[in-house]
Amino acid sequence: MTELDRDEFTAGYLIEADEHVRSAIANLLTLEQALRSGSPQHRHIRELFRSLHTLKGLSAMVGVDPIVDIAHEMETILRDAERGSTKLTVEAVEVLLEGIRAIELRTSAFAQKQAIPVAPTHLLEALAALQTSQGSARTLATSAGADKDSLVLDAQLLAKLSPPELEQLMASIAAGKHAWRIDFHPSPERSAAGFTISTVRERLSEIGEIVKVLPLSVPRDANAPGGLVFALLVLSEAPPAQLASASGTDASKLTPIALSRAAVSSDASERGSYESDPDDLVQGNRGVIRVELSRLDDALDKLAALVVTRFKLANCVNELRDRGVDVRELTTIAGEVHRQLRDLRRAITRSRMVSVGELLERVPLIVRAMSRSTGKQVRLSVDAGKAELDKAVAERVFPAIVHLVRNAVDHAIETPEERVRLGKAPEGTITVTCFEHSDAQLELRISDDGRGIDAAAISRRAGREVPTDERGILELITMPGLSTLDVATSTSGRGMGMDIVRRIAVDMLGGDLTLQTTPGRGTTFTMRLPLSISILDSFSFVCGTQAFAVPVAIVDEIIDLTLEHVVVPPAPVARARAGHTRQLAARLLKRRGEVIPLFELASLLQLEAADPARCKAFIVRSHGQPFAFSIDRVLGQQEIVVRPIEDPLVRVRGVAGTTDLGDGRPTLVLDLVGLSSVASAGAMA
Amino acid sequence: MKGGLLHVLFKVADTDYAVRASDVLHMESYNGATKVPGTQSHVTGLMQIRQRVVPIIDLRTRFGLPAEARTIDSRVVVVQWSGRVVGLLVDSAREVMELGGDAFSAPPDVITQRAHGFVAALAQAGTRLVMLIDLGKIIGEEALNGE
Repeated sequence: MTELDRDEFTAGYLIEADEHVRSAIANLLTLEQALRSGSPQHRHIRELFRSLHTLKGLSAMVGVDPIVDIAHEMETILRDAERGSTKLTVEAVEVLLEGIRAIELRTSAFAQKQAIPVAPTHLLEALAALQTSQGSARTLATSAGADKDSLVLDAQLLAKLSPPELEQLMASIAAGKHAWRIDFHPSPERSAAGFTISTVRERLSEIGEIVKVLPLSVPRDANAPGGLVFALLVLSEAPPAQLASASGTDASKLTPIALSRAAVSSDASERGSYESDPDDLVQGNRGVIRVELSRLDDALDKLAALVVTRFKLANCVNELRDRGVDVRELTTIAGEVHRQLRDLRRAITRSRMVSVGELLERVPLIVRAMSRSTGKQVRLSVDAGKAELDKAVAERVFPAIVHLVRNAVDHAIETPEERVRLGKAPEGTITVTCFEHSDAQLELRISDDGRGIDAAAISRRAGREVPTDERGILELITMPGLSTLDVATSTSGRGMGMDIVRRIAVDMLGGDLTLQTTPGRGTTFTMRLPLSISILDSFSFVCGTQAFAVPVAIVDEIIDLTLEHVVVPPAPVARARAGHTRQLAARLLKRRGEVIPLFELASLLQLEAADPARCKAFIVRSHGQPFAFSIDRVLGQQEIVVRPIEDPLVRVRGVAGTTDLGDGRPTLVLDLVGLSSVASAGAMA
Repeated sequence: MKGGLLHVLFKVADTDYAVRASDVLHMESYNGATKVPGTQSHVTGLMQIRQRVVPIIDLRTRFGLPAEARTIDSRVVVVQWSGRVVGLLVDSAREVMELGGDAFSAPPDVITQRAHGFVAALAQAGTRLVMLIDLGKIIGEEALNGE
């Protein structure tokens, strides 16, 4: 495999491994609940088995042996459980969870190209102790071939199919459906033609159902330059030619999978449970791809450049019109471009949305761990519906959610004894709900049925007046530094790091945070968040005495004016306006053979200019023309959230919006390109 | 006074003004605003008030009075009007009072002219004369999304 191939393969492995780890965690948690409540567990065990089996196979392919070892032991337990020879217990789930954590640790080591720790002995021993049948690994697959139904399929593949997969194939074929084995050989040429394992998978799943994808090592040859082939086992009623073209191969590479004679009369009762379970037929993540956020950001950057080009176009059209040219048609086209750009922007923005449900996937694990360490009984209910959130918002808000949930378990929910004494159910409930509040806002609620916030006790300790309303309570508990007071006693209800929650929801994301609390009954925190935010990489700088920010993307260069050749033209352009004279482009900068107009940003903004000897300047291009803006000094480079300026009182050319640099005051985000046209026109809007 | 409406009373240059309490979101102390270049002279700038970025109008300048140094009594009365949220910088704001409809009378022409229509009505509050301001005129009736 070439380096590129291997990287692509590794990335594919990590994505798939991650999916199986996630699904295994989710299934283990539901399994645990099912065990406690005595509800059916079969499907979860089967799905777990499938995940671990795949993890094992994939890890063997990339040579991550410690994962193979762990997954193998876990798989054996689940096989036993599925066959009924072992009864799983809550304790066993605990060990299995530990196993998943160990696997996760190793995939992330692999991702970071670090040495992968060997499987911990105590874990392997604990797993082995749960097994009833040592060395049973292959018995089921082979026994299926020997004395019951079987498939006409390569023995190597047959051995890699899990019992449920075998079952699914056999049941479908017996029911008269068509099953195919399609071999896909990855190669640079096929990849260039748009055929990679991901696209093939995607196309095939549109016209059929993929039961299994098995990577196989084969001798390298012209057809398999990577020494790798993927055998896709597909159920489909599409004609072979269509399947072949979907997978970038010809019909001769398709092998029908048939049942061996004996199997046609296979035991129907054994199949029943699968067929009656519609969830089994739904394979997750169909037609979904994962994309690195940076690629989408890149697309947005390119789009931003296109927007600038559009402005140039609009300017040219205006110039032509001013010269008396008939520009009606051009104007129509420019308008179309404008609309299309807006639509494209929306489409890209939409592709950055992630499901809130997925974001909250890890919360049950946190609650579970917390309830163990605190000895409290907590039931978590999560309802995120179909809500979606911009990836950037999701990443930033998640720590706040974790904070609130942790606080709820730690401080709000009472111990089972106390709850019983208070006449409550021994098990506390934490509810996380999320829905779209409007087109632009998402509402996220975290409620508990615990003790409520004792505002009086907190105020006493903080040495503050007791707040009279809930807004006051929120201000009190989000006071920076309150957490240190709260460590001493945890009877107050809340307080740990609440200032951070507020900082994230309000200052970072521009959303808002409210609370309702009833003593003895519980507390609800409500966050309203923007569905997406415009986050800009920016330079912050000082001009006059005021701080400003500009997007990094528009700044060509930052130069030191003291080192530059600044020329004062013999006849400076001065205009008298409204009682004061403004020096516009009074100076010129000679730079690399170009003569660049140099504007005093301070005087454009009607601020006091600093000592010119210490000045820096930004070089910005507008309509291909370079402009220099002198400033006092650069403060730094940082990501900012830009809030648009909405009120007409403060909407002016040259100011794109405001941001909070952390001092609780609005800082103006300047549009230097806009300012340059204002400056060259010689007047502020 | 029965059946009256709550009003927030504030002072600008020793004159009492009133605004309907239902139009007032909250009141804040003033600790400086971020200047926005190119705005009208009565716009002192932007303040971040309770999670919002709010433009501030200096009522002294708006009323054509000489600017004066802010004191610790200076207040920002944050009002909501026609979907917009704007802060009014005033010398002080301490009282909330119920003023009935019958307390108001149309301002004499001389006041209307001198006050550029900023005064909608006059009211007698005890011994004092209070001017009810016309928010629309003061903050400007620009449409929110007008270009």
